[in-house]
Amino acid sequence: MNKPKYLYTSEDDLLVFQFTSIGTKGQIKKMVTYLYTGTENVYNLGFGDLNEETNEIDDLSVTNNGDSEKVLATVASTILTFTKKYPNALIVATGSTAVRTRLYRMGISNNLQEIQINFSVYGFTEQGEWEKFVVGKNYEAFLITKK
Amino acid sequence: MKTEDKKIEETNSLEVPTIIFDKRLEQYKNRDMFPKKMARVKEIIAKHGLPKIEKE
Repeated sequence: MNKPKYLYTSEDDLLVFQFTSIGTKGQIKKMVTYLYTGTENVYNLGFGDLNEETNEIDDLSVTNNGDSEKVLATVASTILTFTKKYPNALIVATGSTAVRTRLYRMGISNNLQEIQINFSVYGFTEQGEWEKFVVGKNYEAFLITKK
Repeated sequence: MKTEDKKIEETNSLEVPTIIFDKRLEQYKNRDMFPKKMARVKEIIAKHGLPKIEKE
């Protein structure tokens, strides 16, 4: 997505990314992780605030730092970087709360045309089925993969 | 324009931005920091499989 995004750091395998959100509440360190699920090529996308005291990631916090679009664009950018190295990866994302799941859905919906140039997006329905992502529909989980 | 602003502007215009490597992040690699989410993802895959992927 050609939108403002934060610079981020990563390690050699491009499985962990970190960036700093800068907004009305100050500076908040964010982490994006891609963890292998045990199913071939399937990775779970984790995202949240880094607690530097515990070294844990809090995926429940709502920071309201006034930069959610920029944060989402940065997370999307890590997907581009990750899939350059792992082109066959299937990335599954689930929101930690209904609010965050809706945020993911809105992020995908608002950028779907651009995303679909290079990626296929699927949603896991409340009826327990995978389908091609439909704008405006509720999903429990999302799966994104390079075309 | 400050160097940092220039860097960000350049980054925004790239599909995949320049990545700064940080060895300290290795401690988080392959660590399940979202066990509930991971359990749910595994459950979905086990019960419902994966979508039919149409590769181009």
